[in-house]
Amino acid sequence: MQRRQLLIAGLLSPLLARAQARARLTVAAFPSVDAILKAANGDWQAREPGVELEVVSRAMVDHHTAMVTSIATRSHLPDVIAIELSYLGRFAGSGALEDLSQPAYGARELSAQFVPFAVRQATTPQGALVALPADVAPGTLFYRLDRLEKSGADLGELTRSWESFVATGVRLKAETGAHLIAHARDLKDVIVRANMGPNEGTYVDHAGRVLVDSPRFHRAFELARQVRVQGLDARTTAWSSEWAEGLRRGTIATQMMGSWLAGHLCSWLAPTTAGLWRAAQLPDGVHCAWGGTFYAIPKEAKNKPLALELIKLMTLDPKRQLAAFKSEDSFPALLETYGDGFFEAPIAFLGGQRARLIWRDAAQAILPFSVHRLDPIATEIVDSALDDVLGEGVDIPTALGEAQRMLERRALRA
Amino acid sequence: MRRPSAGFRLAARLRIASAPYLFLSPFLLLFAVFGLVPLAFSVAMACMRWDPVEGFGSMRFVGAENFAFTLGDPWFWKSLYNTLWLSLAAGVPQHVVAIPLAYFLHRALARTRNAIVAAYFLPYITSTVAIAILASALFSTDYGLVNDAVRSLAALPGLGSLLPAEGVDWLGSSRAVKPTVAIVVFWRYVGFNTVLYLAALQAIPREIYEASEIDGAGAWMRFRFITLPLLRPTMLFGVTLSVIGGLQLFEEPFILTPDGRGGPSHAAMTTAMYMYRTAFEFNDFGSASAISWLLFAVVGILVFVAYRWLRPRGAEA
Amino acid sequence: MSIPLAPPRARGLPALSRAGAMLLVLVGAAIMLAPFYFMFVFATHARAEIFQLPPPLVFGRTLLDNIGILEAHIPFWRNLGWSLYVGVMSTALTLLVASIGGYAFAMYEFRFKNALFALVLGMMMLPSFLSMIPTFLIMDALGWIDQPRALYVPSAANAFGVFLMRQFIATSIPREIVEAARMDGCGEFRIYRSIVLPLLGPPLGVLGLIAFIASWNNFIGPLVVLRSSAMYTLPLALRSMQNPVNAEWGALMAGAAIATLPLMVAFALASRRLISGLTAGAIK
Repeated sequence: MQRRQLLIAGLLSPLLARAQARARLTVAAFPSVDAILKAANGDWQAREPGVELEVVSRAMVDHHTAMVTSIATRSHLPDVIAIELSYLGRFAGSGALEDLSQPAYGARELSAQFVPFAVRQATTPQGALVALPADVAPGTLFYRLDRLEKSGADLGELTRSWESFVATGVRLKAETGAHLIAHARDLKDVIVRANMGPNEGTYVDHAGRVLVDSPRFHRAFELARQVRVQGLDARTTAWSSEWAEGLRRGTIATQMMGSWLAGHLCSWLAPTTAGLWRAAQLPDGVHCAWGGTFYAIPKEAKNKPLALELIKLMTLDPKRQLAAFKSEDSFPALLETYGDGFFEAPIAFLGGQRARLIWRDAAQAILPFSVHRLDPIATEIVDSALDDVLGEGVDIPTALGEAQRMLERRALRA
Repeated sequence: MRRPSAGFRLAARLRIASAPYLFLSPFLLLFAVFGLVPLAFSVAMACMRWDPVEGFGSMRFVGAENFAFTLGDPWFWKSLYNTLWLSLAAGVPQHVVAIPLAYFLHRALARTRNAIVAAYFLPYITSTVAIAILASALFSTDYGLVNDAVRSLAALPGLGSLLPAEGVDWLGSSRAVKPTVAIVVFWRYVGFNTVLYLAALQAIPREIYEASEIDGAGAWMRFRFITLPLLRPTMLFGVTLSVIGGLQLFEEPFILTPDGRGGPSHAAMTTAMYMYRTAFEFNDFGSASAISWLLFAVVGILVFVAYRWLRPRGAEA
Repeated sequence: MSIPLAPPRARGLPALSRAGAMLLVLVGAAIMLAPFYFMFVFATHARAEIFQLPPPLVFGRTLLDNIGILEAHIPFWRNLGWSLYVGVMSTALTLLVASIGGYAFAMYEFRFKNALFALVLGMMMLPSFLSMIPTFLIMDALGWIDQPRALYVPSAANAFGVFLMRQFIATSIPREIVEAARMDGCGEFRIYRSIVLPLLGPPLGVLGLIAFIASWNNFIGPLVVLRSSAMYTLPLALRSMQNPVNAEWGALMAGAAIATLPLMVAFALASRRLISGLTAGAIK
């Protein structure tokens, strides 16, 4: 009897092994998250031998469009979806993602291990935790030390408040000829995203009232207008060759962006400016995120337990978090990694500055922001209002009033 | 030849009568399967409110509200103005240049013709990523070649006073971005139209020209009284295509403005771009469908007008 | 008004203005060519060099490196193969369907002719993005998701193609030929196949070229129906290398440049058809 069982088991085992090998986990992602996932395959195979990891990669915008198509039809969804911060709010509210705080997943207990704002972003107003954070991009201020020194100003003046930031810009222009920032809109963007009241989103508050015609926006617009009028911005948009050239030639003295910019500046944007840049916290005590990656499990996923294992590997394993940090400049969301020596290491490009310590503090200080259905159109309306102020000479109260009306018109459609 | 019998004639008539339907059936079948459903969906969607991310169950019927909202939306009208402006500014030069160019290539060049036509056609097949990078480099306000030329020309006495000394903010100012996009669109499609006219010119019998030369007609006469009238159907065709293509203009303004947003103060936002953004960024498929049907109406009206204007008199259209 | 007697000259344009026109045409050709040239130049440079101002003007040395980076990111040659396959199938089907459909509109009078033609014209006027979701549903229902046929079969319903063929046939092919053939007892399809089709060189060339290019550059269709990286066509694959902030520009340009080569071949093939001087002498 036993021998027969052994014989059958022996005959079946290659079949079983093949069946197990055919188990496959599909992850939909975008660059450079796809590279991070592929690099994790070794560790994945160690944890779940025989489960093939299939990474389907598309350009970031294409990926989210394809996911919207799949979510709309609830068909052909992968087992794990990588979601960028700016799309998270929308997907979270769709009801198409699994609530990871349920006992089956047990993510509620894990959430304390992550940077606080990231967990809050992934939590819906109803309290469902729909994704876990893999990385965050703490915002930072990169500035040209040589330009600042030549202008006679110091870092304190640059970063004390937005008003002093602009005033320092005037000195920079006068003494060195360099522009303060790339585009006045960049300043407006940062100021608008900060200093929100307790029940406020960026553009709309929790009661659905439009906030565009409010002091926060007036201040942002006024400062942006001053920057433009005094010739303090280079009028170039980020990621254009003109912008890259401005960074290279030092005609742009500061750039506010995610911390990962340092890597780009070093490797291809402006390698000849090595040693001339430094990083600092954003002015006026502001902390915001310039992106972030999250992993979620759609309700239609076929392999949810395995999906959860993969997500845990990518988000909770310090080794993978640090590996991604070192290879793709993907700033960890896992608090446990923050004690690693890598954060203390000097960054040669920034003149040996231990900038990662600054970014670590920033990441933990970022405040969560609530997301509203109208945010994308609101951003567009406000940007257009700013264009009118900067380019068409429209005065601020008129522009913001018009923007308020346009947004309210849309808000009324419910 | 044997005189065909009545039965044979009837069979032949049936064959002839049914032939067009049979010949069109592959097209109609494909359309029925792959075109009809999306069309019906789009018609239905225009009367609904829907954010696709919330799934099919969340669709809500709202009647004509999407249309009413869009017709009262200043951005819709702005996009329509931009679209018409760009269509004309890019479209008219395309045909005005393509016709003489095709004629010249057809009549005056034999050996180098292929190479030159190929050169003019290349923009049509150049990758949009390359175009975007190059346009950004060429039209850069501070470092671009175009502004270098403008600044040099502005230094000249006389003519120079017409040009701004510090160059033009081609892609960043709301006034200059429209002509810049029009230039790129013109550059992209003039070769396509040239090829079209060239193909049509190939079909004009050489004997007609030879006869007119013998009669003593000069080059301009021949062009005006023989070529142009015979090209009229092709012109109608080409203009219809340009109208349709121009009104649906999306790709060039999309790649030339950061994030495809239509540039400063939406100066280069076309209706197709606005529709795309409404659907995929503002998550409002219902309004996007309404915009697409309103655009369809505009295109339809203009195509109808083009037909009446350019329809050959009397002869087969 | 008297028509002046022009000297019997084969071309009829005075030499000076002809030279002037030629110069203009050549300058125009150079402007047309420039971005294309730069695309190839960029393909041979590293990304830091591409973003310089002024951009590099002559060829660099990093082409092979760029191709290496390309291959490391995506199964480039496989994607190229899929693009070729889909392109050829799409072109062949489009030519078949459009030529016979255009012939029907051009040569026959039948009920619903105007309505159907309006339908064809109408189809040309609809933009494609909004049909993404219903198209996805249809392909899913047919079981065609992630398969090339989901790309080339629908593309054959090319309204522009029918429009173009109808245009050409109506203006260049006299009804008398068809009538004569009918009197000789030819079946309708035989008339189309043996008599009309051989005369359709130029429009088939144009349409084939346009259909191939459209299929080659199409990225919305593949985005909707293709779900695995190994099945991607080139535009989707190349876009998938575009990190929002950090594209491997050199490799991307190399991919884009290589992707343009088949289009150039298609153009060369088509222009031989169109510009081979198929004059109406053949019609006689």
